[in-house]
Amino acid sequence: MPDSVIHDIGYQRYEGVRLGRRYAVRSLWVYSLRSAYGLGRSAKAKILPAGLFTLACVASVVLVVVNNALHQRVLSYVGLVSTFSYAATVFVAIVGPELVSRDLRTNLLALYFSRPIERSDYALAKLGALAAALFGLFTGPLLIMLLGMAFNATGGVGGVFHEIGLFLEGLVTAAIHSAVFAAIALPLASLTGRRMFGTGLIIGVFLITAPVSGVLRTLDTGTLGRLAGLLDPVSLVNGVDRWLWGEGLYDTGQYGAAYGLVAVAVTLLGTAGLLRRYRRVRA
Amino acid sequence: MITVELTNVSRWYGNVVAVNDVTLTVRPGVTGLLGPNGAGKTTVLHMIAGLLGPSQGTVLIDGKPSFRNPDIYRTLGLVTENEGVPGFLTAWEFVLVGARLHKLPDPESAARRALDIVELGDAVNRRISTYSKGMRQRTRVAAALVHDPAVLILDEPFNGMDPRQRLHMMDLLHRMGADGRTILFSSHILEEVEQLSGVVQVIVAGRLAASGDYRHIRRLMTNRPHVFLIQSSDDRRLATVLMGQISVSAVELDPAGLQVRANDYGTFTRALSTVARHHSIRLTGVLPSDESLEDVFSYLVAQ
Amino acid sequence: MNTTIAALTFRALLGRRRVLLLLPMPALLIGLTLIAQSSPAFIDEWGPVVFAQLGLGVILPLTALVVGSSVLGLEIEDGTITHLLTKPLPRHEIIVAKLAVAWSVTTVATAVPLTAAALITGSAALAAGLVLGAAVGALAYTAGFLALSLLTRRPVAVGLVYIILWENLLTTFVAGTRILSIREQAVALSDSVAGTTWLPTHLNPVAALILAAVLTAIGILGATARLRSYSLSGETS
Repeated sequence: MPDSVIHDIGYQRYEGVRLGRRYAVRSLWVYSLRSAYGLGRSAKAKILPAGLFTLACVASVVLVVVNNALHQRVLSYVGLVSTFSYAATVFVAIVGPELVSRDLRTNLLALYFSRPIERSDYALAKLGALAAALFGLFTGPLLIMLLGMAFNATGGVGGVFHEIGLFLEGLVTAAIHSAVFAAIALPLASLTGRRMFGTGLIIGVFLITAPVSGVLRTLDTGTLGRLAGLLDPVSLVNGVDRWLWGEGLYDTGQYGAAYGLVAVAVTLLGTAGLLRRYRRVRA
Repeated sequence: MITVELTNVSRWYGNVVAVNDVTLTVRPGVTGLLGPNGAGKTTVLHMIAGLLGPSQGTVLIDGKPSFRNPDIYRTLGLVTENEGVPGFLTAWEFVLVGARLHKLPDPESAARRALDIVELGDAVNRRISTYSKGMRQRTRVAAALVHDPAVLILDEPFNGMDPRQRLHMMDLLHRMGADGRTILFSSHILEEVEQLSGVVQVIVAGRLAASGDYRHIRRLMTNRPHVFLIQSSDDRRLATVLMGQISVSAVELDPAGLQVRANDYGTFTRALSTVARHHSIRLTGVLPSDESLEDVFSYLVAQ
Repeated sequence: MNTTIAALTFRALLGRRRVLLLLPMPALLIGLTLIAQSSPAFIDEWGPVVFAQLGLGVILPLTALVVGSSVLGLEIEDGTITHLLTKPLPRHEIIVAKLAVAWSVTTVATAVPLTAAALITGSAALAAGLVLGAAVGALAYTAGFLALSLLTRRPVAVGLVYIILWENLLTTFVAGTRILSIREQAVALSDSVAGTTWLPTHLNPVAALILAAVLTAIGILGATARLRSYSLSGETS
C-alpha cells in the first residue's frame, strides 16, 4: 500500500483562545433578540416589532398630552403596561414561533447541540431573548411617559424623583409581564415545527382563557370570582399589578398574594416545560 | 411534435438578472441544458413550464405562451428539482390523483402504466414518507408522465440517483425522445449530458453561451484562437521567443503590451511561464482578452 | 367543484394527529355553558361573553385562521404546490375546492359546539342564529385567510393582527371600522335570528350579510388572481 500523507498547504489547527460556553450562550441570546426585532433580516421582518413599538410610543405620547392637559394622571406607568397586553400577546404569538420553529423543522438543532452549549442553555437563551424582546418594547413608551411627565412635574426635584419612582414601578411591571408571557408562549411554540400552528396555539391559549375567566367572574362575585383571573394570562398579570402597586385593571380583593404566587409558579412551570421539551426532542 | 421557442427572454429580480437575453429553440428529441450551479437553468426551465413569467421576451410552446395558461399542462409534464411530495400518500394514490386532476378518461390504467414505466414495483402501496430519495424522484417522474405529455421538462433528474437508476432513466428518456417527444433536462454534470443528448444548450451566468451538438461545440473551443494581453519586462524579446512556440499563431506588439493569439490554451499557458523563466523575462501581467469564451471553455475543460 | 382536490385537502387537513387540536375549544365552550347554566347568575350577564366573545369572537376567527391559512399555505410551504399548478385546471376551480374544504371544516368545528351550548340554555332560536352567524362568518374569514396565504408568507401573523387589532381593539374605539369587522357581521346575523338580548349587535343584519358577501367575493377573486400569476422561482428564496 502506498504511503499516505497529509500535505501541508498552509492549514493550521486553531490553537488560540476559545471563548467557551458562556460566550456561546450569550451570542445565541443576542442573535435571537436581534432576530425578534427583525434586525439582520429583511425589511418585512421588521414591520411587526417596529409597528408595535411605534404604536405603543404614539399612544404614550397621547397619554402624556392628556395627562398634562387634565393635570391628573389618567393612566400611570403600570396602567400603560397593562394596556398593551393585547399587543404583547400578538408579539409573543408571532415572534415566539419564529425563534424556535425553524430550528425544530430542519437539522439546525443538531448543529446547535453539537456545540459547547447544553440543551438547557439553548432553551434558556431563547426564552430570555423572547422575554427581553417584549420588555424592550415596553421601555420605549415608558421612557416617553417619564420624560413627558418629569418635565411638568410639580414639586421640583422631589417631584421628578417621585416620577422616577413610578417609572421604576412601571419597569418592574413590564419585566413581570414579559417574563410571564414569554414563559407561557415559548413552550407552546416549541411543540411544533410549523410557525403557523405555533402562533395559532399560543393565541388560542391567550384568547380563549380570557372569556372563560370573564364568565366565571360574572358568575360568582365571591372567592371563585376573585380567583377566576388566575386562568388567563392577561388577568393574571393584571392581578399581580393590583397586588403589588394597588392598581391594575383587575379587582383581586384580598387574594392578591395568590396572583403573585401563581404568576411565579406559571413562569417556573413554563420554563421547566420548555427545558423538558428540549431535553427530550430528537435532534 | 412540439417545439419550444424562447425569444429574447430575460428574467430579473430587482437588481439581480437571473436570465439574460436568451434565445433558443428546443426541438423534438432530447436536449440538455448545461451549466454550472446558479447559472439560471432552473429559472429557464420554470419559465418554459409556465411557473414563472419572463420579465422580457416570449416563451412559446407550440406557438402558445406557457405562463398563465393552465391548458398547456395537457401536453407538458414537469419534474422539479426539489423533493416536494405529500408524504402521507402512497405513490399509487399520488399518481392516481394526478391522473384524475388531468381529467384522463381512465385514470387507473394511466396511473398503473406510468408507475410501471418507472418500475416502482410493490412499493407503490407504501407511504411516500417511507421512500428513499431515488424512489421519490421516480414517483414524481411517474406523475409527470401519467398524461402522456408531448413535452417533458426535468430539472436535474439524475440528482441523487444510483448508477442503475440513472441508466434506467436515461434509457427511458432516450426512448421517449426517439418517439418524437420533446425532452428537455438540465444538469451541471458534463458526462450525463454527453451520454444522453445530442443537442446541448449551455447557460453560464444567465446567458446562453453555446448551442448545438456537444461534440461540435467542443471542437469549436479548441480550434478557436485565444487572445491574451501580456505585459513583461522585455516585450520584444518575449514576442520573438513566443513566435517560436507551436501553440502561438500570431503575436502583435502594442503600446499596452504584447497581444498573443494562441490556439491551444492549455499548452500555451504552460509554455508561457517556462519560456519566460528560461529567458529571464519577468511577466508583469497576463490577461485573457475575450472573457466570456474563457468562462465557458474553462468550465467545460475543468470538468 | 373539483372533488379530487377537495378530498385530497380533507385528507391532508384532517388525517393527522394535529386535528385533535380543534377539540379543546369546543369542549371548553360547552363545559363553560354547562357551568354557567347551573349557576344562579342570569344569562344576561354571561351570555354575551360566552356566545359573542368566546364563541363568535375567538373560536370562530381562530379556527378559520388556522384552517384557512393551511389549506393552501402548507402546500406552498412544503413546495408541493407545483403538483397542483402543473395541471390543466382553471385556477378558480382550485380556489373554490380549497375554500369549500376550509369553510366546511370551520363551520362544523364552530357551529356544532355553539348549537350544543345554545341548546343547553334552552333556546333553539339562539342555536339557529349562531349557526347562521358562524356559517357566514366562517365563509368570509376563510376566503380572506385563503387569499392571505397566497399574498404573504406569514398569513397567520397578518390574520392575527387583523383579528386582534382590527376586530378587538379598533372597533371598540372607532365605530366606523365595525362595518369591515367580520365578527360584527356574524354577531349581527346571529342576533337577527336569535332574537335575544345576549348578542351585542351594532350592525343592521342585511347590511352585515351584504358586507360579508362582498368580503368573501374579494377574497375569492383575489386568491384566484394571485394563483393565476403565481411565480415559483425554484431557487432558494
